[in-house]
Amino acid sequence: MSVGAHPSQPAGTEEYQPVFTEQMLEQLNEILARYPTRQAALLPALWLVQRARGWISDRNMAEVAEVLGLTPAYVKGVVTFYTMYHQHPVGRHFVQVCTTSPCNICGAEAVVQALLEATGAKELGATSPDGKWTVIEVECLGACGFATPVLVDDDFIESVTPDRVPELVRKYK
Amino acid sequence: MPEELVNLTIDGVPVSVSKGMLVIEAAKQAGVLVPHYCYHPGLPVAGVCRMCLVEIEKQPKLAISCATQVAEGMVVKTQSAAAKSARTGVLEFLLINHPLDCPICDQAGECELQDFTFQEGRAGTRYSPDYPKRFNPVEDFGPDVLYVPNRCILCTRCVRFMEDVAREPVLNVSERGDRAYIGVHPETRLDHPWAGNVVDLCPVGSLLSKDFLHKARAWELDKTASLCTGCSQGCNVTLDTRENVVVRVRPRPNLEVNRYFICDHGRMNYRWMNRGDRIEAPLVKRGGELHATDWQDALERVTTTLRGAGPRVVSLVSPRASTEALFFARELFRGLDWTGAFQVVMGEEAPLAGVPDLALRAERAPNGRGAELLGYGREYAAALAAAQSAAVVLVLDEPDIPVRAGTLIYVGTVLPERARDAEVVLPIANVAEEDGSFVNRDGRVQRYAQAKPAPGMARPAWWVFSELGAALGHGEPVGSAAEAFERVAQAIDALRGLSYEQLGFVGKPAAVPVAV
Amino acid sequence: MGFPHKPHPKETVLLSRYFGEADARNYKGWVKRGGYAALEQARAMEPARVVDIVKDSGLRGRGGAGFPTGLKWSFMPKEKKKPHYLCVNADESEPGTFKDREIMRWTPHALLEGTAIAAHAIQAEVAYIYIRGEFTEPLAIMDKALTDARSAGVFGKLKIHLHRGAGAYICGEETALMSSIEGKRGNPRIKPPFPAAAGVFGMPTTINNVETLAAVPHILTKGAVWYKGLSLSSPKSTGTKLFSVCGHVQQPGNYEVTLGFPLKDLVYELCGGMRPGRTLKACIPGGSSVPILDRAETESCLLDYEGVVERGSMLGSGGVIVFDDSTDMVYQIMRLARFYAHESCAQCTQCREGTAWTTKILERILAGQGKTADLDLLLDLSENMTGKTICVLSDSCAAPVVSGIKKFRSEFEDYIAGRRKPVMVA
Repeated sequence: MSVGAHPSQPAGTEEYQPVFTEQMLEQLNEILARYPTRQAALLPALWLVQRARGWISDRNMAEVAEVLGLTPAYVKGVVTFYTMYHQHPVGRHFVQVCTTSPCNICGAEAVVQALLEATGAKELGATSPDGKWTVIEVECLGACGFATPVLVDDDFIESVTPDRVPELVRKYK
Repeated sequence: MPEELVNLTIDGVPVSVSKGMLVIEAAKQAGVLVPHYCYHPGLPVAGVCRMCLVEIEKQPKLAISCATQVAEGMVVKTQSAAAKSARTGVLEFLLINHPLDCPICDQAGECELQDFTFQEGRAGTRYSPDYPKRFNPVEDFGPDVLYVPNRCILCTRCVRFMEDVAREPVLNVSERGDRAYIGVHPETRLDHPWAGNVVDLCPVGSLLSKDFLHKARAWELDKTASLCTGCSQGCNVTLDTRENVVVRVRPRPNLEVNRYFICDHGRMNYRWMNRGDRIEAPLVKRGGELHATDWQDALERVTTTLRGAGPRVVSLVSPRASTEALFFARELFRGLDWTGAFQVVMGEEAPLAGVPDLALRAERAPNGRGAELLGYGREYAAALAAAQSAAVVLVLDEPDIPVRAGTLIYVGTVLPERARDAEVVLPIANVAEEDGSFVNRDGRVQRYAQAKPAPGMARPAWWVFSELGAALGHGEPVGSAAEAFERVAQAIDALRGLSYEQLGFVGKPAAVPVAV
Repeated sequence: MGFPHKPHPKETVLLSRYFGEADARNYKGWVKRGGYAALEQARAMEPARVVDIVKDSGLRGRGGAGFPTGLKWSFMPKEKKKPHYLCVNADESEPGTFKDREIMRWTPHALLEGTAIAAHAIQAEVAYIYIRGEFTEPLAIMDKALTDARSAGVFGKLKIHLHRGAGAYICGEETALMSSIEGKRGNPRIKPPFPAAAGVFGMPTTINNVETLAAVPHILTKGAVWYKGLSLSSPKSTGTKLFSVCGHVQQPGNYEVTLGFPLKDLVYELCGGMRPGRTLKACIPGGSSVPILDRAETESCLLDYEGVVERGSMLGSGGVIVFDDSTDMVYQIMRLARFYAHESCAQCTQCREGTAWTTKILERILAGQGKTADLDLLLDLSENMTGKTICVLSDSCAAPVVSGIKKFRSEFEDYIAGRRKPVMVA
């Protein structure tokens, strides 16, 4: 997998640039062909938005609603259900550390601490001053036998230990 | 084809109900109200509050009665220990994050959470006061709706109404788990023309009407079955009065007309019922000015005028007047060269997409169809022209008073400036102050009841005209709206055979072709 | 990317045979290993015949519920009046379970082949493979495998699509999964209607777990009788099963054994036992949603649907979480309760409020502020959360709490009585 980084759209009120321009609409049309309803393309469409903008703003949601024939409120209800859609800007690298019971007993907490330190994010959910890192704890990543699994952007990294963390963070500089 | 019936027992009461019916509805027929929150007969079943759990013999788990269909031989126990304890458990869960702010909550007294907690909740909470309760600030959802999330029990009735009935999903459930709340998108508001129904649907005090906010406690209200006068749909409503002031209009279920809903136009269309500038006594012209008098004097002045009148008579009537009033008003001029007309204010039509044949109708009057049945026409302009040369012009609660040479008799609730040169002015009750009936656009005959006293000496218009008719020798006067309607039914083919008793408070179709 | 361990002699490698062989991921590599022969075989049969073979094999759903697969397929309308759908549940999110991930990572074509056979059996023209959003690597591998097999023309008219989740445990519940595919919140739905009558998009639908479908090609090529013969204890539990073992064992990972295999051997032999100087304290045998076993129960438990029930738990998804004697059971049970509170969809009252309340009580006990009455309260809340909601997420939160209090009560009491140093939880 590529070592991808999130772009990030401004959170302010600058003039809105639509996500679904010609090329994106093409991608969306491909997706739409897989389903019998337009609504079913909502999750994939939101993924497209997040990939393009780094997070999903209220305005983005309204745009998706328009493109798929839904209402903005409906889209917002769906976005807020799924934890992987960012409703706020996040650091360029988004780090998810599993801390559910099986990883907890294998030392996940120390991995979290090491990551907060090495990235400079300091606090869970906060973004490091250089805008590069956001670290959060997540519930079960589904790799309990490879404790502790860490998702950095789209890279799924297994068996992370505190001493592996500095090298890992360096890789994304 | 005869309806297929299913026999079952609910709390020992045998009932026969139609196949496919839900247990919760069948229970109503057995006289049992199964406590519930998310279920509403006008909405798709959600099955989420889990309050209506009941025990069904031979089923391993408790079942929600809102999503279980009746079956032959089914034995339902709503009061079994397991069912009661499950519901007590649900109530306890609902209350852990619910503020105990009933003393300042508009819903108190008509709150289903209060009612069912009183009925089968625990006396005390086991939720430690050390734990914070969920808190979210009050939100302004739309022109008339406030959301108090702390009181919300996530029954989703409001969301389902907007999604499946209004077909404009501007409300959602946001987030999940105990962080969930009813959400909106910042770019859209709850401003659908039927949005106010979410306030009625909310079983707790979470969705509030700004219009009704802190106006009254539920137990101070008197409730009267009435009809909406906002348009020709004829939605059934309840007028809530406090100390003889109408403070709220709510839908009254009628599956044939408005199901469980009314539009916001109708909901807000009540302030005029409380107007203070009413005519409170009959007025007669003496020495070029109107003077207050008693009914006998005023009625005599009218009969004298009518007896001596020439052949040409014009009636201009309000389509808000009762069928009974319009009938007796018409009878006065039997045998004369009579023209009767009414005019209707028109507005934009606003359908409720999820319910067939339900809309705020363009025609903003409740009894145009009744007026037509009684021979009043819609050619108002022509009637105005005819009025110029008529010997007598009778105006019934219609502000648009013509220029004329003949005598004006004005019968109304308030006195428009141009009615001041009337020979006689007779004060009448408004729709909230009398019993009466309307015929809606589909030809359905429906009754409304008196919710508050009429001011001063004002009387129902049907009484006024029946007294005048009697004085002119057209039979005995009537003593009640029911009697008045009986006379109408005898005289008008379309209403023949109907009576107030038969109409009840949901009405009956008239024997007339449906006009659209 | 982690590589699997070398198979232990006591394993029966069927699904995991090619784990670790990068070449098996490629379409050509898969065909070289006999791949897609079963699909061809199935295509030559009437759909009903395929259903019968799977019925006869005794294969039961590997996602957690253990419902007989062939029987589930047979619920689909025989006479097709509407489009039929197959949904593949690759939303593996149950704490302790990570087997479907390995199947998709190493043998994506095994899943695709099983999917195509199932689609033929239930006469579905479209199959959606719902992969949880966090599984970025399996998603990429499946995507490539799908593209390759599709361009090789393997699937005929059948359309297979990948659908990526976005972070919601509950979407592994079959009706929630369908809601999610439809572009909705991942809310479970009330049944009836059952999916075979009105499933995704309102059409007849079957939902199968990844491991279940990966077993199907083997059943077709080697026969129902052979598969049925793979059984060490109960005749109602047949075939092999992948057990994901995690926690305090020397060699965590996926182990494939014949059903009926002793849990003791899995933990102590295949996984290398406890860390030096440690002993086993507790074990959750079927993913975090099932009751906790104590040491004696663990050591006498046979791993099949019936055997685990006999010990008071369930086989579930086969996610085995092992806790050694260093474990603070109260803390771990709190972590599990917190997981369910985080994942509750918010529909049912008992689940929405109960999972969060349970967590708060456990946190308070850990903080040294607990009261003796809290334990009875937890048990009573758990009772109110069991068997009363649309899906079993609420029951799943109650299971570790109830079994934990029952089996490790003294640990709770130590916190309450102040005999144990309080743990402040964020």
